Amino acid sequence: MISEMTERPLASWLGHDRLEGEVLSCLTIIFRTSGCSWNSCLMCSYRHERYPVDKPHGSYSDHILSQLRWVQETYNPDLYRMVKIFTSGSFFDPTEVPLPVLQQIAKAFRGKVVIAETRPEYVQVDPLQSFIHDIDTGTEKIPLYCAIGLETTNDLIREKCIRKGFTLNDFIAACSRAKAGGAGVKAYLLHKPLFLTEREALEDMKSSIRTAAMHADVISMNPCTVQGRTELERYWKHRAYRPPYLWSVLSVLSDSPVHVTCDPVGGGRIRGPHNCGNCDKDIVAGIRDYSLNGDRDLIAALLETECGCKEEWHHVLDHEMPHCMPLTR
Amino acid sequence: MKTDIRKRDGLARSGTFTIGDNMIPFPAAIDTDRVFPALAIQKYMNVPLAAPPDFVSRYLEQPKSPVIIHPALGNSAKSGDCVMAANWHTVMENPRQYVEYLVGLKEKTPPDTLWYAPASALPGNVHILCYSGFDLFDYTWIDLKTAQRKFCTTEGEFPTTAIDEMACGCEGCRTGDLKLHNRLALDRELATIRTFIAKGQLRELVESRCRLSAPHVAILRDLDSRYAFAERTAPVVRGGILRANSAESMTRPEIRRFMERVAVRYIPPKADVAVLLPCSARKPYSLSQSHRRFRQAIGGRAHELIVTSPLGLVPRELETVYPAMHYDVPVTGYWDAEECSVISSVIATYLRKHHYRHVIAHLEGGALEVAEAAADIAGTTLEYSCRENPTGSDALNKLDNALAGERKVRDDRLHGILSFQFGVDIDTRGLSVRGTFPELFWSRDRVPYFSLDTTGGIIRPTFDGWSLIPDGYRVEIDDFVPEGDILVPGIVRTDPAIREGDEVLVTGPRAVATGRAAMSGDEMERSNRGVAVRVRKVKKV
Repeated sequence: MISEMTERPLASWLGHDRLEGEVLSCLTIIFRTSGCSWNSCLMCSYRHERYPVDKPHGSYSDHILSQLRWVQETYNPDLYRMVKIFTSGSFFDPTEVPLPVLQQIAKAFRGKVVIAETRPEYVQVDPLQSFIHDIDTGTEKIPLYCAIGLETTNDLIREKCIRKGFTLNDFIAACSRAKAGGAGVKAYLLHKPLFLTEREALEDMKSSIRTAAMHADVISMNPCTVQGRTELERYWKHRAYRPPYLWSVLSVLSDSPVHVTCDPVGGGRIRGPHNCGNCDKDIVAGIRDYSLNGDRDLIAALLETECGCKEEWHHVLDHEMPHCMPLTR
Repeated sequence: MKTDIRKRDGLARSGTFTIGDNMIPFPAAIDTDRVFPALAIQKYMNVPLAAPPDFVSRYLEQPKSPVIIHPALGNSAKSGDCVMAANWHTVMENPRQYVEYLVGLKEKTPPDTLWYAPASALPGNVHILCYSGFDLFDYTWIDLKTAQRKFCTTEGEFPTTAIDEMACGCEGCRTGDLKLHNRLALDRELATIRTFIAKGQLRELVESRCRLSAPHVAILRDLDSRYAFAERTAPVVRGGILRANSAESMTRPEIRRFMERVAVRYIPPKADVAVLLPCSARKPYSLSQSHRRFRQAIGGRAHELIVTSPLGLVPRELETVYPAMHYDVPVTGYWDAEECSVISSVIATYLRKHHYRHVIAHLEGGALEVAEAAADIAGTTLEYSCRENPTGSDALNKLDNALAGERKVRDDRLHGILSFQFGVDIDTRGLSVRGTFPELFWSRDRVPYFSLDTTGGIIRPTFDGWSLIPDGYRVEIDDFVPEGDILVPGIVRTDPAIREGDEVLVTGPRAVATGRAAMSGDEMERSNRGVAVRVRKVKKV
């Protein structure tokens, strides 16, 4: 019987996360759903993580609910204060997560801070209000954050380099709706998508953080990684793409007027943000520490360390141009 | 920017371009910020070489200068432009992609454009870039090597610890300035390349330089394998020596063209007997000691065919024709399997097409083995006048005896070369030859018709000579009387068979002229500027 089966989410783990100046214990869950409605971003491989389209719709909700059941059976609610929910798409897309399922999930995490990822078009006042109604016990100031992959505040870059399909104005409007519904907004930024020089990418992050900070409560920056089965990977194999230098990531974080969380996934690897291979490990560890403890001096100190590849990074910043890039691997 | 392409060597060119008051010889590395200031202000404009057509048409924005060319774009340039293959450095390690993009770009872009490869040049790879038809480079990549603390030479890149052993005495090495050394190494290699282009020997330089890089060898081979493309820009004659010192010499377009023309165009004289002879170090063969002896023993009683590597088979009449009179090859007596297979098939093709009552092999060693393999393929029975020491008196006596009673073969060098050069079968009776080989002249009733050009070894027709060549190799011009060389804009129609160095007849409503093509018919067709024909004589009509 389908209703009795238990299905594991795509991934789930316990950890810690920094939110509004506080370090919270955190459960992260990635639910398998019918997938992203947009499904077009150049760097995204999560779009492949979906149920086949011909799955009978009647049982679809049960699939998600059985993943929820597995989570509830696996993790003691006392072990975490915050839940981060990803779906490889949009959590508030009613096609992806039907309203009754949404309600069940809210009830399951009553009393927690929930951060759920969604495209801006699915940030609507009513569903947010009822979701908050179900989770809020009055213990958290903002019980729900809508996490939106804004990626950059530059519309040209978001369209050409990411193919994200919405504008900065769409994001700002979503922020207003979130606020009206009583939710906060977490903005995800993408450091160095396709088709940008090292300097263009660096400057785009610096200005994006400043602009995003005016609208979002929390900012997280993802240095771009080369995921399998993506347009990005195709270009990368043609040597037309290089992930950002960790030096650039440090430079962005050090310049930022607000705290920006950053998990350099794949850091130090050829498909992830990397330097020369000698200095990567310490920098990646330092960025993770900073992400949690907000120690700006640590970032400043890491940026001051010396390595043979730093001169190369400076050269790339100064001489990599749209007509001759990337200069390095 | 004013461009003047002065010399071509296959796809490579050299010449000068002028910016302001500066006249710069190319191929050259330039200061991009100064020459192309429009590039510095391009923002978010990256369009990779691998981008699909819809992306390119949406996002490629042309700077003021240079004009960007792209594999997924139609022709975007016009004659005289400087064009840029943006991000070309990303295919340097991918020979297949490199050649595919290159051929596509070269075929759609007007030839009279200056080609800029940004961030691609190093002292160790710029030879193959020039060979591919790029003219302009910058210091971006070599300066990156400096930033990475690499010491660069034509042999590659080395850690700075190698400087003690490898310092070259340049100003950079003397003053401990790595950046200066690296830039000078690139400049010096470009000067070397310009020199080799001037000599018409860039191919030799590339065959030598490419050995330390598998992608460079692969690019060279892949370009050779696209024969129709590579042959179009290969000149028909050159002045200097063709050094056939590597395996790739066998696939060099000029060599393959010689083989194909012997097989397809060449018409031999009527002869009952053919003698296969070894080649000689001295060129043309006839002037060597050994060939003087062979010719004395043969006494004109057989058609003489020279078996040689890498050309395969050189009929006696073609011994002056480029590159038969021009090649030099390392002689060890050993013929490798590839040589044997290519050359025996060339000879077999010939023997199948042209029948002789007797085919006498006056050969030894590798050449003999190749001839035997060819005879096997063609089903020809070889007779042997020797199996070793073909210049010895024993062998020569045997050869003489074998030809006893045979009739004389008409020695018609003119007919042979004309068939090879123009693809025509001309009745040469009534034309008499005078002069001392190889300075030969043909005339009828004291009217000069043809002469042998002793540099390229091909035939130069006079106006009367051209009257015997029914068609082809004509360049039709507009309604004017040429004063000096024919420039591309004056041309109405050309023959696509014309190659650089070919003898051509210029025809127009007001004048005819004899001369030599300075570029291929294809280039005349697709260009708007430059000297097309170097004129020898003009006649008003």
